[in-house]
Amino acid sequence: MPLPKFDYLKPESVRELVSLLAEQGEDAKIFAGGTDLLVLMRDRAIRPKYLIDIKGIEELGELSYDEEKGLKIGATVNLNEIIKSDVVRERFGVLWSAANSLADPILRNRATLVGNICNASPAADMAPALLVLDAEVEVASKEGERTIPIQEFFVGVKRTSLKPGEFVCAVRVPNPPEGARGDYLKWGRTRGEDLAVVGVAGLAANSGKKLVRIALSSVAPTPLLVPEVKGVFEGGGSLEEQIDKAASIVVEKISPISDVRAGKEYRLHMAEVLTKQILKQLLGAS
Amino acid sequence: MSRHKISLTVNGGRYEVEVEANRTLLQLLREDLELTGTKLACERGDCGLCTVLIDGTPTKSCLVLAAEVDGKEITTIEGLVKGEELTPLQRAFIEHGAVQCGFCTPAFIVAGEALLKRNPSPTEEEIKEAVGGILCRCTGYRQIIDAILDASKSKK
Repeated sequence: MPLPKFDYLKPESVRELVSLLAEQGEDAKIFAGGTDLLVLMRDRAIRPKYLIDIKGIEELGELSYDEEKGLKIGATVNLNEIIKSDVVRERFGVLWSAANSLADPILRNRATLVGNICNASPAADMAPALLVLDAEVEVASKEGERTIPIQEFFVGVKRTSLKPGEFVCAVRVPNPPEGARGDYLKWGRTRGEDLAVVGVAGLAANSGKKLVRIALSSVAPTPLLVPEVKGVFEGGGSLEEQIDKAASIVVEKISPISDVRAGKEYRLHMAEVLTKQILKQLLGAS
Repeated sequence: MSRHKISLTVNGGRYEVEVEANRTLLQLLREDLELTGTKLACERGDCGLCTVLIDGTPTKSCLVLAAEVDGKEITTIEGLVKGEELTPLQRAFIEHGAVQCGFCTPAFIVAGEALLKRNPSPTEEEIKEAVGGILCRCTGYRQIIDAILDASKSKK
């Protein structure tokens, strides 16, 4: 089926972009990779009057690392660029794993990390990784700039805290604590191409300041960080008992639904299994 | 709806065309340029049968707007033969029986050529990864992987 009609605009600067957004408001959609947007338009789920292609704005393509500030991922950086980055693989392992789990390698030449979070699917694979890494979303509009903590970015199924006229310029990911390790376990019906039945991201630092963070996809209206997990590992008990406790907390906090991919009960079960698995893997339990 | 004048290179030939905003690269190739080797199927980025190379990068052309490819170089299945001579990968597909109904073949070959250019000696895992976004509904994956291996320098 052909795409519905729209006007295609291609600004060359952020200044030009924010004034277009201010003028067109809700009638405009930002277009980077288009791997979610064009599918939604083909399904007539959304009918924007304007598509604003941001790939002509050079500064939005920045993927950079700073020892102090950490990682910066611009709005047009695609997932294969992230996968190819040595610093992401070495220092932000959870982000690297998540990027490798999303869709397929050909689609990842187009799909962007920022697009993945702006689409705000409960199943967004990049979201749990950004949640455990405590990322920040840099936003701009004609009125100015602001930063939204990633925990406050997702407000519902396919809904973000972006206001009309605002767009995401970049995501900033601070350095994880020294010695931290992370991973993303994606449980799906097939190994590639599908959305997660359950996805679990974990970040753990065992030496020095102890830190354990768990976030999940596909188990709640939004991607979800479970901050209560951290406290379990500050208390007593053997590592195995702590891991069991953490997994039971995760099961309490999530609220999965039954859909075409899996039943609610199966999701609850797999969230527990995967949480235990990733914690064992990251904390070195047998 | 806006219209856009674009110039692009397709399989070495220069084209100046005017496209409507909602025209996809896939429609431009198949309907306007009559290059029907690239297939239209799911139109949602799942099956990968519309894969072409944009500046050498495998891309699903059903999710690319024609207006976006101004100044780009596109390679489709029609652009691989040199006169009558098939590429080693195309010959390997024939030798291995990697063509069944044939509908996915252009996509696998285009993505396979891009892989071999980037990585002339891929492992079987790397091949599976590189073509993982393309579906063969005849499920002839074994022969397709063997054909790519055979055309690579990994063969021995």
